[in-house]
Amino acid sequence: MSMLANKCSRLFVIALCFLLLACTSQPRLESTAITPIIAIPDNLAELGVMSAYADPWEGFNRRMYYFNAKADEYVLLPIVTGYKQITPDVVETGLSNFFNNLAEISTFINSLLQFKLSVAGETLGRFAVNTSLGFAGLIDVATPMGLAAQDEDFGQTLGFWGVKAGPYLVLPLLGPSSLRDASGLVFDGLADQQVMDELGMKSEEELYLSLLNSIDARSRLPFRYYGSGSAFEYDYLKLLYKKYREIQVAR
Amino acid sequence: MRILSVLLIIILAACSSKPDAVVVSKPVCDLAYSSYQATVTGYCQEAAADLPESLDIINKSITIKPLDEISEVFWFNKKMKYSLIKQEASAPLIFIIAGTGASYDSVKMLSLQKSFFQQGYHVISLSSPTFANFIVNSPNTRYMPGDLAHDAEYLYQVMNLVWAQVQAQDAVEALSFSLTGYSLGGAHSAFISLLDEEKKAFNFEKVLLINPPVSLYNSVSILDKYFDLGENRPAAVAMFDDIFSRFSIAYAAQRSSKFDQGSIFSLFKNVALTEAELKLLIGASFRISSSDMIFAIDVSFNTGAITYKNHSISKLESLTHSLQRASDITFGDYFDRAMLPRAQREDASISKADLIERYSLHAIEDYLTASDKIYLVTNQDDIILQAGEVEYLQSIFTDRAKIFPRGGHCGNFDRLSFVEHLQARFQGGLN
Repeated sequence: MSMLANKCSRLFVIALCFLLLACTSQPRLESTAITPIIAIPDNLAELGVMSAYADPWEGFNRRMYYFNAKADEYVLLPIVTGYKQITPDVVETGLSNFFNNLAEISTFINSLLQFKLSVAGETLGRFAVNTSLGFAGLIDVATPMGLAAQDEDFGQTLGFWGVKAGPYLVLPLLGPSSLRDASGLVFDGLADQQVMDELGMKSEEELYLSLLNSIDARSRLPFRYYGSGSAFEYDYLKLLYKKYREIQVAR
Repeated sequence: MRILSVLLIIILAACSSKPDAVVVSKPVCDLAYSSYQATVTGYCQEAAADLPESLDIINKSITIKPLDEISEVFWFNKKMKYSLIKQEASAPLIFIIAGTGASYDSVKMLSLQKSFFQQGYHVISLSSPTFANFIVNSPNTRYMPGDLAHDAEYLYQVMNLVWAQVQAQDAVEALSFSLTGYSLGGAHSAFISLLDEEKKAFNFEKVLLINPPVSLYNSVSILDKYFDLGENRPAAVAMFDDIFSRFSIAYAAQRSSKFDQGSIFSLFKNVALTEAELKLLIGASFRISSSDMIFAIDVSFNTGAITYKNHSISKLESLTHSLQRASDITFGDYFDRAMLPRAQREDASISKADLIERYSLHAIEDYLTASDKIYLVTNQDDIILQAGEVEYLQSIFTDRAKIFPRGGHCGNFDRLSFVEHLQARFQGGLN
């Protein structure tokens, strides 16, 4: 199983490199095409945030963004709708709490890695209270008690240690990320994996749990591709993602 | 998974720069009041009205022009989108038209939908003719959006088609028709009402203009100045960076990493934006909508301002260059370089002053003065009105005008006194 996964991931990396370099998003102009009347400003740096983030993998990213929009419409959202129809609200909330509680573990690890002891302490407190009093995390009793939810991931940890975000990267299904944050995701994934192994779960149970976790996460996200109706949505989201991560890392 | 929750928060963070994403759960805030603050965060110093928490919104779409005539880059905008909120039995029906660059489902629309639904109306919500989805689906490739009388013709056409569709598909029965719109949509409502006097498809019972501009040109000139990149770009850019970093510091000082309504208010309080900074945010958000609009017009009309003329843009093509080009254009430029030449092509004798007059309520002043079904509601400190324009509105609408002392531009749609006023004005369509 792990051999296969290894092989797959290697193939995936090779395919990814190929795709990243091979795609172009530059317009293929017809012979009759006329240059736009309004020129691009000479000094792009003067555009401030609008040009602050280079996008060397734009060709790949735009394709992936399009793919994600379609996958969301035809696969993810129908599943989420079905899930919401068959699951009572109480169960939905319970499951959300449960997954949030599991995620506290990687928040805890990452806050330690950034020496944020108070964040780590609060997170540990939440985890302990919710796991015991909250029936394995199904009920969030910590928030009303005044223990605030925190959010740390390995991407932020890397940022804390001075690793630059690297190029913007749109991940399949998961959406906006960067080279650094995507690597962080792998680490956090390993940590989650470790937790599930500790709980003594069989691999197919882990699979079901991950699936459910994904469905739950998508159902809580109000985002809809092209809900803005704007042709520039890709650019706006890139900007928002980059800015938001900067703010998070600075936290 | 992480990335998804990150995204969720990004969306919340993004919404916080928009006026009334900061919704009702916290009744009042303790921000220092200014008309700019009310425009950005909503008039949160007044208590919120008791509106339904959620609505059963039926999202609908309709084919207005052949789909293969719509450019591939707008693959997600094929068919015009609108929404219907239906009462169980027959009821009066109201059309709501969104403001500049806004869609049928914008946050402000939602507040108005809740008010009118609560009062017993079927509600049909339409996007602004300046919103990309409307532009690319409109059969119009002749008149520039913003040309109020022509916009009204296309809106009227769409309203007729949409009304036929909801009768056929959703068995909606209307006892009467009313019409409203906010901001630019308010000005559109006035022109549509005039058109309806002649065509008589709806015979509107009541028409309400909410925070309309008096003169489109004056209003957009005000907003253009808030974010004037032409004059002093480095200063504007530096101010932006400064706002971001202060939000970032305030967020770092916050105990929880969560964004909720309370924490958004307290972020705004801690960051304590100056008047110039609030203006910058308003101007930037206006600039974003106008970039979207100009791009959609370029694609639909093949005008070649920020896109290559005679080039069909593919769905995977980079649009970043167009966005960068658009960042340099103010609405004033759009007026001078696109709307004026277009209008002069139709009638060579027309001057800029004529056009400014035509795209204003002055053009239909006699009708507005005489017609007793048209009402107005706005705020004394609405930022899109020039000095003297509130008084002008008051003199035209006299006792059909309601002017609140505070609220900025569209900052009070979900506040108690505003909602009570709508209720008194409409009374469930009964009087």
